[in-house]
Amino acid sequence: MSAADGPVEFDPADFGAIPSSRSLRQWMRTTRRQHADRSFWEIFEDVYLVLFTIAMAGATGGNVVRHLNSNASGCTSRTCGQLADWMPWIAVPLLLAITLRVLLAIGPVSASRATGFWLLATPVDRAALLRPAYRLVMGSVAVLGVVVGALVWALLGASLTDVLLAAVLIGATLICAAVATVWAQQSARRSRWALRVADVLLLAAVVPAVLLAFQPREDQSSNVVLSSRFVDEYGYPTLAFGQIQDDRSGAVPLLVFAVAVVVCAVLVFLVSRTLDRLGRISVIAGGELLAGLAGAASSLDISMLGDVIAGRHWRLKGRVHSRRGRGAQGAAIVHREFLRILRWPRRLAVAFALLVVPYAVHGAGFHILVPVAAAIAGFIAVRPMLDGLRTACRSTGLVRALGWDLRELRVIMAVVPGLFTIVWSACAFPAIGSASASFAVAAGIISGAVRQASARPPSYAGPLVTSPMGAIPPGLFSQPARGFDLLVLCLAPVLLNLSPLWVVVVPAVVLLAMLAVRPKTD
Amino acid sequence: MSKKAAPRLSVADLQHKYGDRPVIEGLTFTLAAGQAIALVGPNGAGKTTVLKCIVGAAEPAAGKILLDGVPIDERADAVRRDVATLLDDLDFFPDLTAAEHLDLLARAHGNASPEDLVDTTLHDIGLLPAADQLPGSLSSGQRRRLALATALVRPRKLMVLDEPEARLDTGGVQWLSERLVAEKKSGTAILFASHDPALVETVADSVVTLTPLP
Repeated sequence: MSAADGPVEFDPADFGAIPSSRSLRQWMRTTRRQHADRSFWEIFEDVYLVLFTIAMAGATGGNVVRHLNSNASGCTSRTCGQLADWMPWIAVPLLLAITLRVLLAIGPVSASRATGFWLLATPVDRAALLRPAYRLVMGSVAVLGVVVGALVWALLGASLTDVLLAAVLIGATLICAAVATVWAQQSARRSRWALRVADVLLLAAVVPAVLLAFQPREDQSSNVVLSSRFVDEYGYPTLAFGQIQDDRSGAVPLLVFAVAVVVCAVLVFLVSRTLDRLGRISVIAGGELLAGLAGAASSLDISMLGDVIAGRHWRLKGRVHSRRGRGAQGAAIVHREFLRILRWPRRLAVAFALLVVPYAVHGAGFHILVPVAAAIAGFIAVRPMLDGLRTACRSTGLVRALGWDLRELRVIMAVVPGLFTIVWSACAFPAIGSASASFAVAAGIISGAVRQASARPPSYAGPLVTSPMGAIPPGLFSQPARGFDLLVLCLAPVLLNLSPLWVVVVPAVVLLAMLAVRPKTD
Repeated sequence: MSKKAAPRLSVADLQHKYGDRPVIEGLTFTLAAGQAIALVGPNGAGKTTVLKCIVGAAEPAAGKILLDGVPIDERADAVRRDVATLLDDLDFFPDLTAAEHLDLLARAHGNASPEDLVDTTLHDIGLLPAADQLPGSLSSGQRRRLALATALVRPRKLMVLDEPEARLDTGGVQWLSERLVAEKKSGTAILFASHDPALVETVADSVVTLTPLP
């Protein structure tokens, strides 16, 4: 540094009227364009590819939903009726709870740290700077609400009018929730209250789910009964999407639609005028979380998405009461894992709440899918309990400090999640229906979760292969499948309808082999 | 009888807690225009927390913080115009050069043609050769210099700096001392946390020593 030429003199006359947010964004666009290293056609090709993929996936998905809708609308069994009656009471509060929690975690109005420092800390109109992010949140929530609402009601076999009505109403409800989170974001006290409301909504969703799970069931063979009105001579459903029409006048949906749009528009407009009350720190915190999640998603590392969320949770928590361990050697690690898992009780509550999934699938009449649904729900429930193992497997220094071989450590750290898996699978047993299948589900859950938790991160230091995404480490694309592969392997005998002996032997061998093999380290 | 001017910064009975544990209790001081106060103390004493409370990056459990006699609120235009901060929350746009970052900041503060100011500042802090470099290619020391430069291309009545000497070489710390003294002479109030006794000795008019609370 040089002081020879004298320091820069601050002259207030240099600084005049504060520019508009629009003019600054325009300046940034112009400046960035000068650094652009991609032509218009390259960008166009990417956009075309994305739109084409969305169209293909949408067409395929839409077709599947249409068939499932006609199948469900033709189901006249008591369990189908129960599911259709109960599901809205589960789905709506659950959606609201998830929306509130997710939006409060990411802001919902967020900005990168760079924007926070270089723009939001200046006197430029903050509301105008944040308005594009605000609009993006509202638009995304609206689209999500409409799609999820339509999907849930379509899968329940509702008519086209009801599906559209549900889509609009749920979209509008989620927009109201999003607006509420933006209002809550403006003070820590409001945010805490909004989180409490989300917890209450989660409970409100769990109660009907539990009641549904313990409804008396019919004989399995009569679960999916298509009335002759809806099936052809081969027994296949003949109803197309929305063929069951009710007698309701078309004016009612239109009125509901109009009211929902007006209410949402007014709320969105009113809250958009309060964006200047958002604190810079709350805006940046969400941006950091989104950046972390985007980084994890780009490396196709599902576990890392969980790491980002868990890391943020513990950072915000900051301080917990220390608890002394018990025992020595492996018992001490098992006890510590037990205490660590208890330290985040909400995860345990969510894990038990996920028990409703196999029962719901059973209630819907898709009996063949119950073990698969149970295994996936159980995997989601158990996997977060293996965060300790994941940390150990990603830190050779930690393993060295603990003084254990990584293979032994993996077995020890899987003890508590393993016991939880047994309890969870036992609770799901009535839905799964057979002891051998329940064992396969439990083995699949724990072996898959342990395999995913002990995966190495993708290394860009070694040899790379070329791909449309640029140079990537070999095996990057198989990363998301890690863990689920063992889960499928354990469930294969169930899905192939093999004898109970094979249903027990294959998962047992998979589990033992997985625990016997030493995980790879860098 | 002339009315006594309000101090530029006034902190009264500031308290902050992490969970149930208090980290700052009953901190009171005032800082006048053209003066500098140094916060010193061991790691964990709460220096950065005090600075964060003042710039609105942390919420005090109790106490008053006034800027020119008005409660400080980071969301207020006047606060954003008058308070230049340098904490650990700085990040960069990956696709803007060092010069463009400063250009953007000066424009955002109302300087419609800041080219000369940016060039002079870059020269002043020794970053002129790196003016066209993107942030990813800057060394940590160069990033720190760029961070310091952010306080010099904008209006300021109060500078809040957290360990401004961090990652600077010996010459850089010497320049920083001279620069901060010059800022004081031009009427800027400076509140900074530091572990460098020489910098504190040269710049600070008074020292607030913080100790970790039990």
